[in-house]
Amino acid sequence: MKLISELYAYREMIFSLIRRDLKGRYKGSALGFLWTFINPLLQLGVYTMVFSIIMKNDIEDYYLFLFVALIPWIFFSTSLTGGANCIRTQQDMVKKIYFPREVLPIAYVTSQLVNMILSLLVVLGVLIVSGKGFNIKALMVLPIIMILEYMLALGITFITAAVTVYLRDVEYILGIISMAWQFSTPVMYSVDMVPGRLRNLFYLNPMTPLIIAYRDILYYKRIPELQTLISGACLGVLLLFVGIYVFAKLKRHFVEEL
Amino acid sequence: MLQENAIEVRDITKKFKVYYDKGHTLKEISLFRNRRRYEERNVLNGISFEVKTGEAIGLIGHNGCGKSTTLKLLTKIMYPDSGSIEMKGRVSSLLELGAGFHPDMSGRENIYTNASIFGLTRKEIDVRLDQIIDFSELQEFIDNPVRTYSSGMYMRLAFAVAINVNADILLIDEILAVGDINFQAKCFSKMQEIKAAGTTIVIVSHSLGQIEQICDRSLWIHEGKLKAVGLPMDVHAEYRSFMGQERMRRQRNEAIVHADSKRWGNGKAQINKILVTNAEGAEKSVYRTGERIKITAFYKVNEKVENAAFGIAFFRVDGVHCYGTNTQIEQSEKITLSRDGKFIFEFPNIELLPGDYRVGLAITQDAGDVDYFSDAVQLTIYSEVDDKGIARLEHVIEYEI
Repeated sequence: MKLISELYAYREMIFSLIRRDLKGRYKGSALGFLWTFINPLLQLGVYTMVFSIIMKNDIEDYYLFLFVALIPWIFFSTSLTGGANCIRTQQDMVKKIYFPREVLPIAYVTSQLVNMILSLLVVLGVLIVSGKGFNIKALMVLPIIMILEYMLALGITFITAAVTVYLRDVEYILGIISMAWQFSTPVMYSVDMVPGRLRNLFYLNPMTPLIIAYRDILYYKRIPELQTLISGACLGVLLLFVGIYVFAKLKRHFVEEL
Repeated sequence: MLQENAIEVRDITKKFKVYYDKGHTLKEISLFRNRRRYEERNVLNGISFEVKTGEAIGLIGHNGCGKSTTLKLLTKIMYPDSGSIEMKGRVSSLLELGAGFHPDMSGRENIYTNASIFGLTRKEIDVRLDQIIDFSELQEFIDNPVRTYSSGMYMRLAFAVAINVNADILLIDEILAVGDINFQAKCFSKMQEIKAAGTTIVIVSHSLGQIEQICDRSLWIHEGKLKAVGLPMDVHAEYRSFMGQERMRRQRNEAIVHADSKRWGNGKAQINKILVTNAEGAEKSVYRTGERIKITAFYKVNEKVENAAFGIAFFRVDGVHCYGTNTQIEQSEKITLSRDGKFIFEFPNIELLPGDYRVGLAITQDAGDVDYFSDAVQLTIYSEVDDKGIARLEHVIEYEI
């Protein structure tokens, strides 16, 4: 409770760190903020080229099938790998100024969330232009899925950011973990392709229900099943609390360890 | 907590692990367990003090004594191992200037980022914006990216933000030396203003003068304990004299004679031994302002030198020539050196102000230098008084009130 009121008092810091990150990223480039939109568009172009000309696939509009899952996945994996460093890279600030340490992971993950939302706008544009269209009712569920993924990403970033301060290896291990995780999440394939006996195991992966939900909404144009939502919500909330707890335990000695 | 107190510190201790070879990676931690040996260093061994609301105190002490650690504990960026710290009101710490500045963003945008890190809300920053820009004197440049600023401008902007964060308790670490003299004076009067407004202030500084001007009390921390508390003037006098004695002890009373320093001459005569002694005839290299110093130089003569003169010069370590004289200037007497001997310069009360000095000794001849030993001796001067300048001029102060 105390943490929440303190974070509220420091809300402007969170906002300005996000602003600095989003605006600062493309400062100095000619196209500036436009890159936020151009980047995913170009990526989509590449996937379309590869999967509709070279690696033809049974799945209809495979580039879209992949892309609607890949963007939420990138949000998660950037939070996982980049977020782990958010305390260490800003150690000058951490060592010299008091502020609730939670601000840094929150700002980092939130700015990744904003990036994902902007990319999803591009996806929406492509859905309209390509004539695939979308289902308004299903789209109303999208914010809930994003919030669940945000909670999950935040929980994990709390843990990795705090542990990285003590053990720098985590930063390097996370690269390979993130890759393995991507292949065990139905990003590039659908969950139906998973052999039956492994499928239950798959649902232990907190990202699985979320990616399925994104794809339901944006690709299949249908409202995700309630069961998917519930399992996503449970895992998200659980990891967030674990993350907050671990972070609170470890943050007291950040300054001495940095 | 007592009503009149803003800060109460009760018996805090803090230990640091000092690793001999700190490993941060998995390999280092698991494989080289024994290499990760560390020493536990007690930085703070039970410090207690109180600060009244509206009071300004200074923390002094030599490097590593624990004063910055104390400030960090007050700031809550570290936590004590035992003991308690209570503070009343909004705390703002000026330990780091320009936190979160992004070089590509404008001065104005950076004000918002930086101030928000101090915990200000957008509304509060809006209210202070003009004041901050005014104070920084960067009106024309405020919308330019910070990377185009000179380092002085950068620090001015950073300081302007920091000083305008109104807080009930202000913690400051060694940052009042920003910008040119005018800006420093401005910062200083701003500090006075903040203090007059009733803000409680804790300053860590090596500049005792600054503390004397701002603070009501000084806390001298020595080896993790409070050694003295009281009026800055009193505590500082004690501290200065202690530090001077420490230095003296450390240098084991040996005057340092440079063998490799700049030295030139025609070699007809050469200084081969130098003694620096005090009133009791003991060899020392640390003196108090006003003490007696006797510098004796022994020389050997290789070839007869006519029209010779003996000279001495004092240089402060930053190169300021403080004083110089020689036998020719003072006596215009012709000296002829035909056999080994010595010359002595004696100062019954050396009036140089605290600092490190190099003393040059020379034997010259009207045709040129016979042996010019440009930093023959290193001296350190200390004093209990913090008067300013190069040397103390003998004086009397009178006033009528």
